[in-house]
Amino acid sequence: MTVTYVRRRAHRSQATTSTTSPPMRSRNRAPDASMDLLNQIIRQPLDPDYALAAARGTDPARGRWTLAVLAMIIGALFSVAALQTTREAPALQSERTELISRVQAAEKEQDQLRGRVNLLTQEIATLRAAALGGDEAARTMEAQIDTLDPVVGYVAVTGPGVLIVVDDSPSAAADARDRVLDIDLQVLANGLWEAGAEAISINGHRLSSLTAIRSAGDAITVDYRSLTRPYRVEAIGDPLTLQARFVESSAGAWWNDLAQNRRMRYEISDVKQLDLAADPGIVLRHAGRAAS
Amino acid sequence: MIPLVGLLAGIVLGIFVEPSIPQVLQPYLPIAIVAAMDALFGAFRAYLEGTFTDRVFVVSFISNVLIAAAIVYVGDQIGVGSQLATAVVVVLGIRIFTNAAAIRRALFHA
Repeated sequence: MTVTYVRRRAHRSQATTSTTSPPMRSRNRAPDASMDLLNQIIRQPLDPDYALAAARGTDPARGRWTLAVLAMIIGALFSVAALQTTREAPALQSERTELISRVQAAEKEQDQLRGRVNLLTQEIATLRAAALGGDEAARTMEAQIDTLDPVVGYVAVTGPGVLIVVDDSPSAAADARDRVLDIDLQVLANGLWEAGAEAISINGHRLSSLTAIRSAGDAITVDYRSLTRPYRVEAIGDPLTLQARFVESSAGAWWNDLAQNRRMRYEISDVKQLDLAADPGIVLRHAGRAAS
Repeated sequence: MIPLVGLLAGIVLGIFVEPSIPQVLQPYLPIAIVAAMDALFGAFRAYLEGTFTDRVFVVSFISNVLIAAAIVYVGDQIGVGSQLATAVVVVLGIRIFTNAAAIRRALFHA
């Protein structure tokens, strides 16, 4: 503390006594002079030593060659940097396209694996039928399986139902609140279950009790697969009551509100026949010998 | 005249020889160039005002480039590299503009 005080005082006395330095230094210093950054940048854009050296009067011819060498270095700096930037641009682009193609390849592989899951599921069903045999207990069990399979999303189903198409409102780019969120789709799906839907799929992804609807980044994912707008929600259920019961439910009110206040697209229509694929995420997890 | 010829020769040399900058130094090249531009504009203004001196130019150029690169390097080490790079560009940019305006006044009297 004392050291800095002494040093500062010494500095100040030096500054006030030196009369040979250029006007900049002999000017009365403001208390915050050393921190007056922006003012200093604007008022003193030129290296003050130019004035000092000119006042001393040096030989202008001396050091011409260092100047030339320096100018060459500066020129080389410019061209090298420009070259490098232009050369790196295609490299970045190709990196990006490679990443995109890798993502696409992975998605294709996932599709293949899902197809294989479907094949194996069919095989399991055939084997199960063979293993159960044809007696009375086997037939009740088969009947039970047949009722439960469509409910859990284990098999593809067909039937009448409703189609609901929802989408962001046209002003979604300006206001994030005008976008369809994962919770909106969750409410929609839960409302449909509540209204008596037997099977639901969103953009072709069948919902089951294990399906997650959530957002990842900018997209909404169902079963961890990103959806693209618009969102088509298909639900199979009683054609006479499904739509009416959904509209009356709290989910219907929620979506009415979104459509009216946020101008989101919300179209609901009856469809004679819907084909919903099985949920490939549903796999046989546990198998045991039937009690005999 | 000599500096101008040197500058052109340097640009041509850089284009045709294509010296490769070590990977470690690459992030500091743009900042070094901004600092070099600052020194160049300062030198040109001093030249127009008749106070230009080689020695001051050489020293100010080298120290500017080194300090700018060093600031960004230190920033990179402590995780604020891009912010410090922005700070350097802003400060040197203000100086470049001020000097360019002075040059314009000296050349065109406008």
